[in-house]
Amino acid sequence: MFGKILIANRGEIAVRIVKACREMGIPSVAVFSEADRTALHVQLADEAVLLGPAPAAESYLDMDRVVEAVRRTGAEAVHPGYGFLSENADFARRLEREGIAFIGPNADALELVGDKVRARRTMEAAGVPIIPGMKTAPKDFAEFEAAAAGLGYPVIVKASAGGGGKGMRVVREPGALAAALEAGRREAKSAFGDETVYLERYLDAPRHVEFQVLADKHGAVVHLFERECSIQRRHQKIVEESPSPALDPALRAAMGETAVRAMKAAGYDNAGTVEFLLDADLRFYFLEVNARLQVEHPVTELVTGVDLVRQQIRIAAGEPLGFGQASLAQRGHALECRVYAEDPARGFLPSPGRILHFQEPRGPGVRHDGGIYAGWDVPIHYDPILAKLIVWAEDRGRACDRMLAALGDYALLGVRTTVPFLRDVIAHPAFREGRLDTGFIGKYFEGWSEPPAGAEAELLALAAAAYADMARLGAEGAAGAPGAGPKGGPLPWETLGRWRLGGE
Amino acid sequence: MEFEYLLDGAPRRIRVEKTAAGLSIRDGDAVIQVEARALSDHEILLMAGNRPHRAVVVRNGGRLHVLLDGREFVLAPPGERDGRAGEAGEGGDGKRVTAPMPGKVIKVCVVEGERVRRNQTLVIVEAMKMENEIKAPADGIVTKVRAAAGELVDSERTLIELEPAGAEKEATNG
Repeated sequence: MFGKILIANRGEIAVRIVKACREMGIPSVAVFSEADRTALHVQLADEAVLLGPAPAAESYLDMDRVVEAVRRTGAEAVHPGYGFLSENADFARRLEREGIAFIGPNADALELVGDKVRARRTMEAAGVPIIPGMKTAPKDFAEFEAAAAGLGYPVIVKASAGGGGKGMRVVREPGALAAALEAGRREAKSAFGDETVYLERYLDAPRHVEFQVLADKHGAVVHLFERECSIQRRHQKIVEESPSPALDPALRAAMGETAVRAMKAAGYDNAGTVEFLLDADLRFYFLEVNARLQVEHPVTELVTGVDLVRQQIRIAAGEPLGFGQASLAQRGHALECRVYAEDPARGFLPSPGRILHFQEPRGPGVRHDGGIYAGWDVPIHYDPILAKLIVWAEDRGRACDRMLAALGDYALLGVRTTVPFLRDVIAHPAFREGRLDTGFIGKYFEGWSEPPAGAEAELLALAAAAYADMARLGAEGAAGAPGAGPKGGPLPWETLGRWRLGGE
Repeated sequence: MEFEYLLDGAPRRIRVEKTAAGLSIRDGDAVIQVEARALSDHEILLMAGNRPHRAVVVRNGGRLHVLLDGREFVLAPPGERDGRAGEAGEGGDGKRVTAPMPGKVIKVCVVEGERVRRNQTLVIVEAMKMENEIKAPADGIVTKVRAAAGELVDSERTLIELEPAGAEKEATNG
């Protein structure tokens, strides 16, 4: 087993990996940018190394600096998390050359599935159904124009190196193609350091169903069933669950078998996910392989009882999987909600800033994977994900009830988050009934705004503010607060007597 | 004692009296009796009859952020204009187009003197790895470009100044 692991990531996923390392008795090394000096993952790791300035290209995406940090700390392996360098085959190869273990797939498999265009060709050859689209990624605009016309609009621009919604643009008419390609390239370049994009036919309103796979270095490959991730905004998942309400045992077995076949065709090892789109007639199409730990891995962990990060580390160290498909089962139902620093009432506009107060929900069957704390400034430089709230219950209905209660207890002040929006999504009748597709948010939540608070809640909030102002004025015992404060009348310490903050 | 706050941009004036049981809070015709106890320097237990409400109150700048029953209320001092810019992508008052959130200017798509249509993209600002197109709130002419590519901008910073087209200009969507 590794003597020390460096985690080449930040935020909630770095925290998750630090905790797995700690449980396994392996010292962990965090890396950080100048914007993340006080980030939670830095506080929790055994060692922490400054990589460089805030922009990811000069810190978390800079291979030289990451490798230098590995050298300096004597780490034997690198866990890349998701995003950043996690699906970068050059990085995996470089570590291989330098004798450092990469906790992820072998570089050849990573290169193959990481090139979305090549992956599509490989999967098609292996008999895996694919979505109609380009099988090359040309530079010339005329070729894109011709391909789009051939596929028929709407088409979707996708980053060949990408995932997670970055670089994606839906194009509904020829006139919008050039701008979409330009924006997609720019976004892909900044997210992945590679501006290659291609086009696929855009399926309106499919379900997104993906299969978690684990493969060891000795040829054993199993799947850990599906996650349904149809609830998306801007092509980014916000609610995930397992099992999918759309699958019956026969379809589940067929898709699982296809996922295993896809990974074998790619020569894959370690943890990975095979993503499918499922149309209204329950036909499934290969979308892509995510060659890394997924944001939504906890729902699989809760229904299967398998710790995926621990398995990743074991597999990378060369240990055999040690269990077969027959020993795996889904038990109960798990749901995950992603908490983003975004304002759902303003088109999910990013909402960086200081977290003024934070208390995560707790209780039976409630898990919180977070990278935040009160007093921390959410930086503008990185992905807006703050945390994930995950629940488990005996069945889907009870998991929804539990999620709603937990979202109600989510206490965070200072930055806008997706929490109030998620409450309405989970409470929506179509969600409760499992009628999901990737157009769900557009269909039911266009122009969403938070329902009004009600007169009593407003009055109580005003009362709480006034109480705090009175206590402060009393404590200061001098000139009133600027702005908010008493308007005329006796000063508070004259009327309140001994009644003070913290007193009786 | 009276307190005045801006809640969602609307001025709210409440009257607080100390009573034997705690506090009486009046907002216009609405009155509520609560017993209040500080739990910590930023947490308060409000008992309204037999209904407990745990409130968190945190001061940030001149504003009070109150968490009550799972909801955030932001109370600004009276006189501060509503902190929020306009709707996504069209901040400002129709003449000044402002950044809706802190971020980095990726691209300025217009030049001074250019005639623009409502909803035309003026500036692209990136924050948290997402590009946000800042659009013209109305037809008009760009009178001043006050942003440059690569620049870091704060929320509500003016990016572009516009002279709206004539008296027939369409109402803004803000």
